[in-house]
Amino acid sequence: MKKTALIAIAAIVVIVLAAHYADKATRLSVSGGSFKKADNTQPGKPAPDFTLKDLDGKNVNLSQYKGKVVLVNFWATWCDPCRVEIPWLIEMQQKYSAKGFTVLGVAMDEEGKSVVAPFVQKEQFEIDGGGKSLMNYPIVIGNEQVVDKFGGLFGYPTSVLISRDGKQIKRITGLISYDEIAQAIESQL
Amino acid sequence: MKLPFAILASILLFIVLAALPSAQPQIPAARDVVSPAAYASLEPAARGTSFQLAVVMKIRNGFHVNAHQASADYLIPTTVTPELPIGFKAGEIIYPRGELHTFTFTKIPLNVYQDKVVLRIPLTAQSDAPTGTLHIPLKLRYQACNNEVCLPPVKVDVDATVTVAANSAAVRPAHPELFPAH
Repeated sequence: MKKTALIAIAAIVVIVLAAHYADKATRLSVSGGSFKKADNTQPGKPAPDFTLKDLDGKNVNLSQYKGKVVLVNFWATWCDPCRVEIPWLIEMQQKYSAKGFTVLGVAMDEEGKSVVAPFVQKEQFEIDGGGKSLMNYPIVIGNEQVVDKFGGLFGYPTSVLISRDGKQIKRITGLISYDEIAQAIESQL
Repeated sequence: MKLPFAILASILLFIVLAALPSAQPQIPAARDVVSPAAYASLEPAARGTSFQLAVVMKIRNGFHVNAHQASADYLIPTTVTPELPIGFKAGEIIYPRGELHTFTFTKIPLNVYQDKVVLRIPLTAQSDAPTGTLHIPLKLRYQACNNEVCLPPVKVDVDATVTVAANSAAVRPAHPELFPAH
């Protein structure tokens, strides 16, 4: 009886551990090929600082936004769901920036600035309530190191909400829910 | 004091489960979304004969890749590029049309490949083609998404094995299920 129970428990432990390590192994890298071991983003964990170039070639640090609520949005010009949520991000920037909020777009296109800059400069998005708008929030050119600092990504888009004191509050893989993220932003303002 | 075995076991199991992070959606690496394989329409082919290579893309359930004729300029199309050895010539690659599907993230249907598709590369083994078994490296590039997230574009190496005979008497058709009109 005791022996059977012990074997059953051992089997469950093995299955749980295998599932855990399979999860870690399926995080993607920017190149999409190699696997990344990564920690999960835990709510309350400090956001990693990074320095990336903006479209003017100037350095942008995440730490320079300390004191603001920041939604870090990993995206790419070829990513359809990323394009779907851009108008929502524009609206959030319009609605909440005066209260100490910003979206920070991290563009992950392999070609970098050469494709991202024309997109940001020309692409107009229809926003709710009528009218069109360019992307109205800061954009930086991302890289694999920054993805690693965030513990790897499952895919694009990925959004990480960071509190005024630099802690990770929420992480969403895939298309955001406007209401859900707006509520989360408002709770931090 | 001796705790009953069942209680001890439960505590142990609880500790293990609590130590693990919460479950996350299982999303494969981009290069694991497609299982590619290449087949020749003639085995062996011969010097002076034309044949085809079929690149079979088995696409993971729940995922799609953009068709070669992608629905928009900004989308990354599926392409295959052969690195031909001396003595071979390639024709225009035949890509399937794709199918229009609507996904949760877009109102406009997208032209995509799902499940299983076959790309075909017309080849000619010229008179100076080496005989025997040789490998033709292919680069398959695709960009995959599921209904919620997109994965980065990847280039995957596919190996096509071709056998070339000196004369056409030895030529035999192969894999008729992949080359119905050949």
